Amino acid sequence: MVGRLLMLAAVCLLGGLLSASLVRFSPGYGVDERELDPRLSQASVEAIRNSHRLNSGLLSYYGHYLSGAVHGDLGSSLWLQRPISALLKERFPVTAKSVLIGVSLAWFVALTLSLAGVFLRGFYFDISTTLISGVFIALPAAVVAIFSVYLRAPVSVAIAVVTFPKLFRYLRNLLNHAYAQPYIMAARARGISRAKILFRHILPLASPTLFALMGVSLAVAFGAAIPIEALCDSPGVGQLAWQAALNRDLPLIMNLTLLVTLITVAANMFANAAHERAM
Amino acid sequence: MNTPRLRLICALVLGLIFVLGLFAGTVSPYPYAKQFREHPNVAPSSTHLLGTDSLGRDLFARVIYGTRVSLLLAPAAALLSTLLAGILGGFAGLLGGWCEKIILAATDLSMALPLLFVLLALRALLPLDISPILSVIATFALLGLLGWPSSLRVVWAATKNLRNSDFLLLARATGCSRRRMIVRHLLPNLRPVLFAQFWISIPVFVLTEATLSMLGLGVIEPLPSWGNLLRGLEDISAVSANPWRLTPLVLLILVVICFQFILPAQEETA
Repeated sequence: MVGRLLMLAAVCLLGGLLSASLVRFSPGYGVDERELDPRLSQASVEAIRNSHRLNSGLLSYYGHYLSGAVHGDLGSSLWLQRPISALLKERFPVTAKSVLIGVSLAWFVALTLSLAGVFLRGFYFDISTTLISGVFIALPAAVVAIFSVYLRAPVSVAIAVVTFPKLFRYLRNLLNHAYAQPYIMAARARGISRAKILFRHILPLASPTLFALMGVSLAVAFGAAIPIEALCDSPGVGQLAWQAALNRDLPLIMNLTLLVTLITVAANMFANAAHERAM
Repeated sequence: MNTPRLRLICALVLGLIFVLGLFAGTVSPYPYAKQFREHPNVAPSSTHLLGTDSLGRDLFARVIYGTRVSLLLAPAAALLSTLLAGILGGFAGLLGGWCEKIILAATDLSMALPLLFVLLALRALLPLDISPILSVIATFALLGLLGWPSSLRVVWAATKNLRNSDFLLLARATGCSRRRMIVRHLLPNLRPVLFAQFWISIPVFVLTEATLSMLGLGVIEPLPSWGNLLRGLEDISAVSANPWRLTPLVLLILVVICFQFILPAQEETA
């Protein structure tokens, strides 16, 4: 557990340093539009320039960022001229809700179809699910977003459509592999019920990968949230990241990237810890 | 499902689409940016096989040129990412020790970063009004430079297995030089793994480019790519008036499905 927490801290620090480097060395860093305001006196312009010079080195910039982050101050958005922490407080719950509903829906459908495939063993069922998941996997998330606008489907359904095929393919292979184990064939030959085989033999065997998949599915869903929220006009962090990229608001986009990275790493850590406890 | 016949059909379809893209200048009746201002949004006809877009540009020409951009540059990006994964994963697997630990830690960190967020961040570093050619190069270079971590893990595991294999132990015991060991023994055995990683990366990059271009952060107009052609789908009235506007989407789905069927099975690459 200590090792994992250290890993999380390392991701925070290294990711933060990477973000700070990108922001610090981006073209136009330290240039302030207010300097062009003719109403400002020379002393005011000089004061603005001095405020930028204070943190002009990478390490001092990073140190300033870290000390602010510890106190909940993530800096200000260059484009919206608002504190980034306030923007995250507003936007993150929207994305979190869509992602959680979308991932749950994708897991439910993928697990149901995979289990049905394992137990039914129907040729046409197999072909049709392979074809559907193959077409869904070939759709860019942005196209899924456009179709969800056409059909007036919620953002969470679009996220589920993007996450489902990747989950389904893993789950189906995993469960098929577990179902083909010799001791499960022996259990079937002895007439043990399907439910008992599933809960006592297949799921425990597949559980390590299932736990790992939970973290991966969250990462996929957060990635899909950018184009889906952008094109469905949903006011979440995905849309904010897109708008920040279009407006070259690097401090905002780097903070968003760090936030999603931390969530993904924490989800993976939680999944691993849950798996170890289950073992 | 991966029967040889199905693979052959998929390879033929992919080959045909590649050739069409490669010879876009010959196949296409018009340049991709030529406007027929008196004929915007027209239905398919003998002069415009797939009709025209809202700016009066021939859709067939744009699809063919877009195929060239998407299908020729995605393999280039895949080659770059596989090369990076091969070099770094090979070093990590062969050398072991601190080198391995540092490379794997960097890989874990890169894998923790969500690709699309990082792409947006790096793309935001560049001005939005760069030239179309530069936008193509920037998009696919970013994909190639950021797409290596998952491939590296596979290459590293394969190299490590090979390093501990009996035949390499025997080669070392007989005084085989490191260079000869890498060139004659390691690389030929890593080739299927590298090939599989290259092949897997292509559809991933095609789809990512499509998403980036649809968001206005990939290939910039007037240069066509499947991604920016798909932006036309946002106009539902134009799509319902001319369903042939779905052609880039159909091509994209067809190509990704063909790649999936052609992909070598795990047991063949192991």
